[in-house]
Amino acid sequence: MSADVRTVAAAGGDCPEPHIFNQQGCGFEAPGTDLFFPAPWIDFGLPLSSGITKYALVLVISALVVIGFWYFTTRKATVVPSRRQSVAELLVSFIRDQVTRTTMGKAGDKFLPLMVTLFLFIFAMNLMGIIPGLQLPVTSNLAFPAVLALFVFVLWNAVGIRTHGAGAHFKARLVPSGVPAWILPLVVPIEALSNFIIRPLTHSVRLFATMFAGHLLLAVFAAAGFYMFNPTTAMGPLLGAVSVGYSGIALIGFLLFTVFELFIMAVQAYVFILLSSIYLGEAMEGAH
Amino acid sequence: MNGRSGAGGNDAPRANAVTVVSYLLGGLAFWGGLGWLADRMLGFATLFLPIGMLLGLAGGIYLIIAQYVRS
Repeated sequence: MSADVRTVAAAGGDCPEPHIFNQQGCGFEAPGTDLFFPAPWIDFGLPLSSGITKYALVLVISALVVIGFWYFTTRKATVVPSRRQSVAELLVSFIRDQVTRTTMGKAGDKFLPLMVTLFLFIFAMNLMGIIPGLQLPVTSNLAFPAVLALFVFVLWNAVGIRTHGAGAHFKARLVPSGVPAWILPLVVPIEALSNFIIRPLTHSVRLFATMFAGHLLLAVFAAAGFYMFNPTTAMGPLLGAVSVGYSGIALIGFLLFTVFELFIMAVQAYVFILLSSIYLGEAMEGAH
Repeated sequence: MNGRSGAGGNDAPRANAVTVVSYLLGGLAFWGGLGWLADRMLGFATLFLPIGMLLGLAGGIYLIIAQYVRS
């Protein structure tokens, strides 16, 4: 990690010593968005693609983590659950009771496997942001949440069309009920834009933006802590002690926000599947 | 759909804040966008843009009231 922070803190400047109280007059270079554009390891040179980057590696690792979780918790499934198995059962019943049953009723049980998978996968991808050595939440790249949200959007249409037929599904989504006919030309375009464009967009951007901002915040704390740590400054031991104090404050901030970020990671995964369930429940319910 | 508690602990039926915001944004974007296009094509600086935005805002608020407040 220190190597990471060093490059981040030194980025942009030609400073031999990117620390506070230096005599070269180097200022603090805050980490920027280049954190989220790692250099590709293999570049295919295709338009609109980034090649194989760190994101691909971290994505594979998060998939392996999820696979490993299910392997170790349900390998020897029994009727009376072992301790490991009860962790998995707790997760599944939590999502069933808190998400699918409350939004879709009993009919939501058939989406339970999807929601559990999505939750765990998104949570694992978020979690990669605070794993030392990786430190890159996969969901901080808009492409990943966008594909997940697109998937839910397609499923939402498919469920609606299958339950009510294409005509009724799109009518329910476009024409609000209990509205006089003369006002329809005004509100139907708004409904269309809101349901078919803004909704999937916000669904993905919500996850992306929180992980992006949270990761950037952690990076700023880490880089600031590194920048301010200069006990052997040439400007005297007093300023050296001050710099250690500054750095300690940044470290405390970093640790607190790491814990907070862990909480946010779980909450965002939960919110993603909660919204997916609300949308699917609405599609099954039909006209509103 | 009974007794669902939304992300913000809001128990009103289907009143998730996201939809409300997307109605407002959608109204502004669609009708404001049409107004902007009309301005461009008819050569006005800003005439139809504010009219369209107001219209879209009214439509969005109307949708929110019709679906969440009245029901």
